[in-house]
Amino acid sequence: MLRHAVTRLIQGLLVLTAASFAIYVLLGLMPGDPVDLIASGNPNFTPDDLRNLRELHGLDRPLVDRYFDWAAAALSGDLGYSRTFSRPVLATIPPFLANTAALMLASFLIALALGIALGLAAAANRGGAIDTAINAFAFVSAATPTFWLALLMIVLFAVTLGWLPASALPPPGEDGIWDKIRHLILPVTTLALVEAGEYARHMRAAAIDALAQDWVRTARAKGASRTRVVLGHVLRNALVPVATVAALGFGGLFSGALVTETIFAYPGMGKLIYDSIMASDFNLALACLLMASALVIAANFAADMVYAALDPRIGFGRARGDDT
Amino acid sequence: MRVAALAFALLALAFPAKAKDELTVGLSQFPATFHPMIDSMAAKSYVLGMVRRPMTTYDKDWKLVCLMCVELPTVENGGAKRVTLPDGKEGMEVTFRIKPDATWGDGKPVVADDALLTWEIGKHPRSGVTSGEGYRRILKIETPDPKTLIFTSDRVTFTYNDFSQYDFIPAHLERARFEQDPETYRRRTGYDTDTANPGLYNGPYRITNVQPGASITLEPNPHWAGRKPHFKRIFVRVIENSAALEANLLSGSIDYVAGELGFTLDQALALEKRQAARFDFNYVPSLLYEHIDFNLDHPILKDARVRRAMVHALDREALTRQLFEGKQRVAHSFMGPRDPMSAPDVPVLGFDLARAQALLAEAGFDRVVNGIRQNAAGERLSFEFGTTAGNRLRETVQQALQSQWRRAGIEVRIRNEPPRVFFGDGTSKRRFQLAMYAWFSAPESVPRTTLHSEMIPSEANGWQGQNYPGVREPEIDAAIDALERELDPAKRKPIWARIQTLYAQNAWVLPLYFRADPFVIPKWLTGIEPTGHQYYSTLGVENWRPRN
Amino acid sequence: MTGPEKRLALAGTVIAVVALAALAAPLIGWIVEYDPFETDLLRRYSPPSFANPLGTDELGRDVAMRLLFGARVSLAVGLAAALAASTIGTAIGLIAGYFGGRIDQILMRVTDAVLSLPVLPVLIVLAAVDLGKLGLPEGEASSLARIVVIVAAFGWPKVARLVRGHALALRERDFVRAARALGAGPWRIMWAHILPNCATPILIATALAVGGTILYESVLSFLGLGIQPPIPSWGNMLTGAQETIVQAPWLALWPGIAILITVAAINLLADAVQDRFDPRRRKA
Repeated sequence: MLRHAVTRLIQGLLVLTAASFAIYVLLGLMPGDPVDLIASGNPNFTPDDLRNLRELHGLDRPLVDRYFDWAAAALSGDLGYSRTFSRPVLATIPPFLANTAALMLASFLIALALGIALGLAAAANRGGAIDTAINAFAFVSAATPTFWLALLMIVLFAVTLGWLPASALPPPGEDGIWDKIRHLILPVTTLALVEAGEYARHMRAAAIDALAQDWVRTARAKGASRTRVVLGHVLRNALVPVATVAALGFGGLFSGALVTETIFAYPGMGKLIYDSIMASDFNLALACLLMASALVIAANFAADMVYAALDPRIGFGRARGDDT
Repeated sequence: MRVAALAFALLALAFPAKAKDELTVGLSQFPATFHPMIDSMAAKSYVLGMVRRPMTTYDKDWKLVCLMCVELPTVENGGAKRVTLPDGKEGMEVTFRIKPDATWGDGKPVVADDALLTWEIGKHPRSGVTSGEGYRRILKIETPDPKTLIFTSDRVTFTYNDFSQYDFIPAHLERARFEQDPETYRRRTGYDTDTANPGLYNGPYRITNVQPGASITLEPNPHWAGRKPHFKRIFVRVIENSAALEANLLSGSIDYVAGELGFTLDQALALEKRQAARFDFNYVPSLLYEHIDFNLDHPILKDARVRRAMVHALDREALTRQLFEGKQRVAHSFMGPRDPMSAPDVPVLGFDLARAQALLAEAGFDRVVNGIRQNAAGERLSFEFGTTAGNRLRETVQQALQSQWRRAGIEVRIRNEPPRVFFGDGTSKRRFQLAMYAWFSAPESVPRTTLHSEMIPSEANGWQGQNYPGVREPEIDAAIDALERELDPAKRKPIWARIQTLYAQNAWVLPLYFRADPFVIPKWLTGIEPTGHQYYSTLGVENWRPRN
Repeated sequence: MTGPEKRLALAGTVIAVVALAALAAPLIGWIVEYDPFETDLLRRYSPPSFANPLGTDELGRDVAMRLLFGARVSLAVGLAAALAASTIGTAIGLIAGYFGGRIDQILMRVTDAVLSLPVLPVLIVLAAVDLGKLGLPEGEASSLARIVVIVAAFGWPKVARLVRGHALALRERDFVRAARALGAGPWRIMWAHILPNCATPILIATALAVGGTILYESVLSFLGLGIQPPIPSWGNMLTGAQETIVQAPWLALWPGIAILITVAAINLLADAVQDRFDPRRRKA
């Protein structure tokens, strides 16, 4: 087990290194550089200005040279300077990361809790009306385009009913915990609703498996109540496969909330990555993408550890992206 | 369900009604820096308009006026004069007096040394300022006293007293930072490392807090000598998604959406139909000139008859009437009708399908196969048509144009790309056939970089210049050179008229319309005066206040 | 819950209706003499009426008609991307699983590496790269090809892992050993003996990928990187409607519902098929 873990860890680091190069080259292959972007729309640019800016941003040198410079600096802890935020990359990321962490943890936990509860309820009432309703919810949830749901939520709850704010971040004056929570309700609900379906399906399947085991029948025969059996035995055993799925899903969350963050005007990692790519802020984009890769690798590693300790049954991934 | 409704109602109660001495402004973009001289983003200009003032500006009537100076120097009032430079060429000497009560937010007066620092940073080749050309044209600055500046420039040009892009940089805070190492100055400037320092701002407001990517908080500058601003705090909230912007406005999270950088026209028109009771709708024709560049090196587009036919084939009047409800005016040249130098009698290539057909037939495209015109060699009248992907309004217009051209037997294939690709790799490297985008400028902007033949980007000149269509016309080149040197507006007028006439006749570019900025202003708010040019309404933020 | 057969019937019916509508779109357009590309600026945003049952969009085009044509594009792109991903994934999975050893090691590490890339950001980067330089078709159809390529490039590892698992188990089975003893070559065995036995899981994975692609296309459209107008897809119709969603939410309702129903039906179909053919789940 330990050897396996160490091997996987080393492999993870290798993959990360390869990914850094791949991402760097991909970013470099994108046509157009930041200076073109600065110049577009402004007819008062002179050729000298362009040349100077290009030199200043190091854009006149070959891509591979730039990568090795970057890698050497990165290893010494310097991830460079973000052009679009006018501050070092390392100082730019933390507030965005904190925002994303709040949004993601909240929606992840709620989705998981909701998914587990619904999955258990469906399994316990297998074949009944509740089961059918929960199943219908699960399939609809997994098939809903997030931005569509987010927009509908805003139109309904923020504009028409006026119950909740349309943006996820409280205005600068209001930074009490209550303000923060109030502003996060809509985006968290949106994300939780589209994520919960998947967990509910996995939970239901796992719980049905667990219910069929001999020891459950034994417990029932011994006179344990239905609720006790479900909560005490089935839940504990069914959680393991669900935890594996959850760990895998968690890795994609940090970069995957782009759409939700955009619609709820929330400065988080997904939007930061998108904006930095679109503005050709290479240093920032690279650091964020690497972080996202590292998280996916870490989550895969965690899932692998859980998986390795248990029955390695092969399941089918659902057809949904991280934030579709 | 009832419990949930109750909970929501309680949440709504906890939402305090906002006092009217605070204003929340919605903006669709976050500034990349707050340094006045680095990067030229619209969002930065918008925010900086509230916190600092350049020497001069164009006002809402498009007249050049003083902001930091006492009186606008002109040749007539003796503030400016022609001088002979040491090398024998002719230059100009312009004297500005800084307002005696102009003060930085920390109480220090705005002095000539601040303007000197601006020049030193601006002309330094590696300081990272966006456009150094204007500063390099200044040969010398004399400061006989702390409030007087005498600029000597290397040429005679009618824009001699336009210092609207000339900012003051507080030397008492920034000089040491700059002189320590000019090359890394842009990463150490107080505007980005110590943004809340009041000494950086000389306008009615100062920046007190920044949440990167999300919001900027402004509070009045206690040392501001002009009209006292009303609002105790202004929050600028950045919401990029336009549907979200609208939702935030309607739900009351923001009070006002920046007219220059907020809604699309389409959105404002839809909003007006339902929200006319809550907001005033003001559509201000601006200097944003939407047009389609023809690539003049394309074998078919080289032919002026084809280009003119393509203009004639479009019913631009109907397009603006139906798409924009007449709020945006059709353009016939690059110069807006509000511009004082706009020629009244520019040739108009109006909608005339018969004329278009005739011109195309004349150019050899005299047969129609499957609805598309062809010439004897079997070449089809078919072009690629690109614009910035994701810009809804442009995409809508593009599809309408495609539909109109098809009726004349001209096929355009839409090929859009994200702005970074469209500009970065397309227009600036002249890899396009038809390209739709906009130029934004100040009143009476000389089209040197966009029309002069020296400004055609090519491999040989390192893709420099912005004459993307590839206009090569000696008469235009000569007119541009003459224009810049002519100080008398009355004598400039005929030169401008000639340039506009040539531009329209030759159809090097297909003018579409001048964009109108939709200002959606809540009924209780007054004092916002849209300008329609690149010097935004925030330069008058001290006049913003609630209606009594 | 309803049995697999009932679910299969429900999902199948929905998918059949959508597919039929998509196939018949040009025919319907011909019958009602309506061109989904023809703009009519005088009839923008008109509410539902007899002539336009779902109203018209920002260019005065019939929403119902565009929904039908959008179904063609969305389904075609989904199918093409899913087939491409499955083909690549199946080939790699078969080779890795059947040969094992060093080949398996290398292929699976590559698979892991691709899986570790954060999907959405990399999709954005790829969508911004000019694929025209790589020899893909230019012009209006290029955005379609681009999405197919991008989704296929990221979709195959899941299938590869799945197929490898099955191939690994199958190659030790008696009928494979027998074939090998009879002198069949490895390619023949993979083709004739192993592939048919993992057909069901591959089919399910492909179906799920169709749904996934439709959702991805809508996200990319939302970001302005999806299928470019004037070609209608459900994703770009939805995106086109978002600007006026507060004023005219119904425009956004239809494409959203179309995506939702179709993707849900595809997932349901996959689930039902799995239940039917997976003996362990059927027993349970």
